[in-house]
Amino acid sequence: MNDPIISIRGMTKHYRMGDTVVHALDGVDLNVARGEFVSITGASGSGKSTLMHLIGCLDRPTAGSYVLAGQQVDRMSDRQLARVRNRSIGFVFQTFNLINRTTAVDNVAVPLIYARARGTRARAMQALRRVGLEHRAHHRPSELSGGERQRVAIARALVNNPPLLLADEPTGNLDSRTGEQILELFHELHAAGVTICLVTHEMAVAAQADRVVRMRDGRILEDRPVDEELRAQLLSERTGAEKLRPGRG
Amino acid sequence: MFVLQVIWMALRGLRANLLRSLLATLGVIIGVAAVISAMSILEGSQRDIVERFESLGSDTIIITPALARSGGRVTGIAQTLSVEDAEALADPRLCPNVKAAAPQVTLRNVSIKYFSRNDEVEVMGTSEAFAAMYSYRVAAGMGRFLEREDVNAKAKVVVLGHRVARNLFGGANPVGQAVKIKGVPFRVVGVMEKRGNIGFLNVDRQVFVPVTTAMSRLMGIRFLHNISVQAVSPERVDAAIAEIKRELRRRHDIRIRTGGKDDFQIASQEEQRRQFQEVSQIFQVVLYSIAGISLVVGGIGIMNIMLVSVTERTREIGVRIAVGAQRIDILGQFLIEASIISLLGGAFGVGMGCLMADLLENATQILETYTTTRAVAWALAMATLTGIVSGIYPAYKASSLDPVEALRYE
Repeated sequence: MNDPIISIRGMTKHYRMGDTVVHALDGVDLNVARGEFVSITGASGSGKSTLMHLIGCLDRPTAGSYVLAGQQVDRMSDRQLARVRNRSIGFVFQTFNLINRTTAVDNVAVPLIYARARGTRARAMQALRRVGLEHRAHHRPSELSGGERQRVAIARALVNNPPLLLADEPTGNLDSRTGEQILELFHELHAAGVTICLVTHEMAVAAQADRVVRMRDGRILEDRPVDEELRAQLLSERTGAEKLRPGRG
Repeated sequence: MFVLQVIWMALRGLRANLLRSLLATLGVIIGVAAVISAMSILEGSQRDIVERFESLGSDTIIITPALARSGGRVTGIAQTLSVEDAEALADPRLCPNVKAAAPQVTLRNVSIKYFSRNDEVEVMGTSEAFAAMYSYRVAAGMGRFLEREDVNAKAKVVVLGHRVARNLFGGANPVGQAVKIKGVPFRVVGVMEKRGNIGFLNVDRQVFVPVTTAMSRLMGIRFLHNISVQAVSPERVDAAIAEIKRELRRRHDIRIRTGGKDDFQIASQEEQRRQFQEVSQIFQVVLYSIAGISLVVGGIGIMNIMLVSVTERTREIGVRIAVGAQRIDILGQFLIEASIISLLGGAFGVGMGCLMADLLENATQILETYTTTRAVAWALAMATLTGIVSGIYPAYKASSLDPVEALRYE
């Protein structure tokens, strides 16, 4: 666990909104080791989305340093960042963000196309097999259920074998049963060695991870491993009455 | 490989938005169709006219009266060319490089009658020289062409073109029969072979009478419409023209040195063809300009749709950037889409243009059309270029989206 995949020091992000400067992130330090399953949680406006965008190399910090998988990414050019996103990060979004015009397998192949890879079709099918959706490969997203769509999105995130999977409210648009299945898939992937960063405001979802990072006002409020005490505390904070699996067996 | 995949993606996208893609390219389609059909008509008529010029033979010279001017204004054509001029030009002692000269007058839309049968024809008044000049022969066993005697005597004899004989007499032999032209009785002395066009005349639909008879009996004029001259050989055309000029100036008492102006115009077949080609080149330039304008309009249509498409697909662009697309990949994708749209529009337009040209040719029966591969290649190239140019701004807009904003876009 001493091999950090994410190493963030003093990360700060300021936005200018009209005349006022918004301190979205205010000096965040965060280490994530290879193979960890970390939840980042907090209320809206806490800075968790900003942190996720920065971890995902979609944005650059105002200040601070960020080393991802041994690469100093905070000063990289657009071109280099695109390459890092392509090779080192797999994104899973709340709204799936699939391209509706094309089939599941073509959606999964998109990162391979930008990686200028060969044999994209076969590799995309392999990724779909990994999420158990091989039989739906030639359906369009509109012909798939929400859970299936999210599986396609996860396959897309995995297709380039990135060391880090970054999920932003992956269960937010799913019913609790389907959400459970997606989380189960995350556990399987985690067991297979994928590092997962899961951003969510649902405490019950956050409690699925090994470790929870809680944010407020652009700072890290609490960063601790999930034990029985924290799990109980998180579950009591949850709003709905959905039943989630109590933890990793 | 990458480019092929992007093209494949673009085609998928177009198929998903078929109606919209069609509407986007409507400007290009219409523009290209209009240009292709117009080019086909121009090219076709050009070829037709060149062919007609060639049927005259490259040793042919046409003399026409000059435009008559009075105080700088055109008032008509000069009334000076006479049958005697034609005879003088044919005289080998006066013009040794001239082989033959045929005086001509023509009268259009004349009714010819054989008992109750009617036909509408063009009457040509000419001399025996006409048939020899164009190797135009009398049909086998069907009498004779006009003779010198007929011209001298203002004889009321007529030689029928192939179609006219068919229309008036069916299968019967017209030679020796009496017909009425504009009410004047003529005796048929011959029927010509089937020939089609000589120059711009469809001789099968003509009747030939002595030029003198036509002028005095049918038209009441004293001067010729033109004189067709044949040089002794194609190489001697220029020499023949010089002799004709000298002889006509002498006969018409025109003194160039003291400021006199020719009352006639001389054009060799070659020269006329060159002039015609210059005119048709001007037409081509005009057509290409119109094509340019319609492509600009088409380009604006494509740009419009591409901008809508970029806005609509903001999230998709965000996702593509998130999973590793470079700016240049996004730029390329939209440029390729724009050029495919316009290339397809161009191809569709070419098809429609060819169809329109075909329909016009069949409907009018007069227009000849000809679609050149050069015109098609140009149209496609220009359509594609239009797509690329009008895709630049939308593609640039797409490629410069902020991924965080784009992913949030509703």
